[in-house]
Amino acid sequence: MNGIHDLGGMDGLGPVNPAKHEPCFKEEWERRMFGLFVSCFAGGHYNVDEFRHAIERMDPAHYLETSYYEHWLQSLETLLTEKGVVTQEELDQRKKHIAMEDV
Amino acid sequence: MPTLTPDIVPGLIATGASARLDEDVAPKFSVGDAVEMKNINPVTHTRLPRYVRGKTGIIERDHGVFAFPDTGAHGQGHKAQHVYSVKFSFQELWGEDHAENMYLYIDMFDDYMRPAP
Amino acid sequence: MPHDHPHPHNKPLSDVELRVKALESILTEKKLIDPDAIDLIVDTYETKIGPRNGARVVAKAWSDPSYKDRLLSDATAAIGELGFSGVQGEDMVVVENTDDVHNIVVCTLCSCYPWPTLGLPPVWYKAAPYRAKVVKDPRGVLEEFGVNLPEETEIRVWDSNAELRYLVLPKRPQGTDGMSEAELAEIVTRDAMIGTDVLAAH
Repeated sequence: MNGIHDLGGMDGLGPVNPAKHEPCFKEEWERRMFGLFVSCFAGGHYNVDEFRHAIERMDPAHYLETSYYEHWLQSLETLLTEKGVVTQEELDQRKKHIAMEDV
Repeated sequence: MPTLTPDIVPGLIATGASARLDEDVAPKFSVGDAVEMKNINPVTHTRLPRYVRGKTGIIERDHGVFAFPDTGAHGQGHKAQHVYSVKFSFQELWGEDHAENMYLYIDMFDDYMRPAP
Repeated sequence: MPHDHPHPHNKPLSDVELRVKALESILTEKKLIDPDAIDLIVDTYETKIGPRNGARVVAKAWSDPSYKDRLLSDATAAIGELGFSGVQGEDMVVVENTDDVHNIVVCTLCSCYPWPTLGLPPVWYKAAPYRAKVVKDPRGVLEEFGVNLPEETEIRVWDSNAELRYLVLPKRPQGTDGMSEAELAEIVTRDAMIGTDVLAAH
C-alpha cells in the first residue's frame, strides 16, 4: 500500500538526531512490548508480513507521532482483535481495571 | 503452536525463522541483467517501495528463493521466488544532478521486475 | 516480579502503559504467553546480544584473511562460526568498506536490522528522518554524524527491504597494526557497522 511507512526519499522530516549512547529500552512498557511481540510471534498468532502490514495501516499522522514500540503495540492489538484472540471490549475493560487499581 | 515458555526462549532466539525456502524455483533473471521495477500500486502489503517503481537497475546478486511478503501478509501462501540485490544509480532514482558515484542496492523479488525495455 | 516493575506513584500510568499491561494480563490469563519468557527475552537482548557481537566479527575479519573471505562470501555461516545467529540474522550479507567505497545500511519501509550482531536498533535508525533521507542524501546524513567523505568515494546505500540483513565491515583504521583481535573489537563502533561512522586512526 502507498502508506506513510514508505518513507524513502521524502523531504522535510527534520534532522536525524543521532544519539551516541542510549539504553536498549527506555521504559519498562517497551521491554514488555518487545517480549510480547516475540512471544505472540512464537505462538503462531501472525507472521512478520502481517505484523508489518498492520503497522502500515496505522493512521498516518499517528504513525509519525508515535515511537517504534507503540507501532508494535498498535499492530499487536489490531492483529489479535482481528483474529479473535482477544476482543477490544476485553482490552478496554482490563485497561479500566488496571487504571483503577493504579490510584 | 505452544505457548512460549522460558525453556524454549534461548533456542528460539538462536535459531529464528528464516524466510528462505528450500524449494526448486527457477530464477527469472541472471546477474548482470538490466531490469525495470514494475509500477504497481496495490492497496495491500508490498515490499516494493515507491521510490524504485518504474526505475531501471542491474541484478548484482541472486540471494536464492524466499517467501513472497505480498501474498504472505494476506494468507495467500509463500509464492516462493528468487530475491536479488538490484543496483540503481542515484541519477536514475533522483535525477541527473546527483553524483555519478552513488548507488542504491535493494532486494527485489521476481514478481516486482520485468526485463528492461 | 520484574514485570510488575514498581513505578513512582506521583503520576498515573499513561495510556500506552495501560494498553501494554492490559494486553499482557489478558494473554497471560488465557495462557497464550508466559511472563517469565518475556523476562528472559528482555534480559537476553539487554545483556547478551548487542554491537559487541558484531565488533568481534569485524575484528576477526581484520585479523584473519581467510575468515574475511568466508564472511564476504557466506556471511550467515561465517557469523555463525562465532556463535551469533538467529532472529533477524537468519540470512546475512556483509559489505566491505574500502579506500574507494563506503556502504550505509537502512530499512526505508520499517526498521529491519541485524539483531544477532548489532542488537536492537537505535531510535534514530527506526525514526522517519533517517529512513527518508539516507537513500537520497547519504552525504547529508553522514554530515549529521560528523562524517565527511571525499567526493571521489563511491557511496553504496543498502535498503534492507526483504529478509536479508546487512552488516558493514568497516575499514581497519590506521595505526592498529600491532593490536590483538580483542583490542580491535574494542574500537569498532555500532555506527561503523551500520555505515554512519568511520573509525578514526589510532
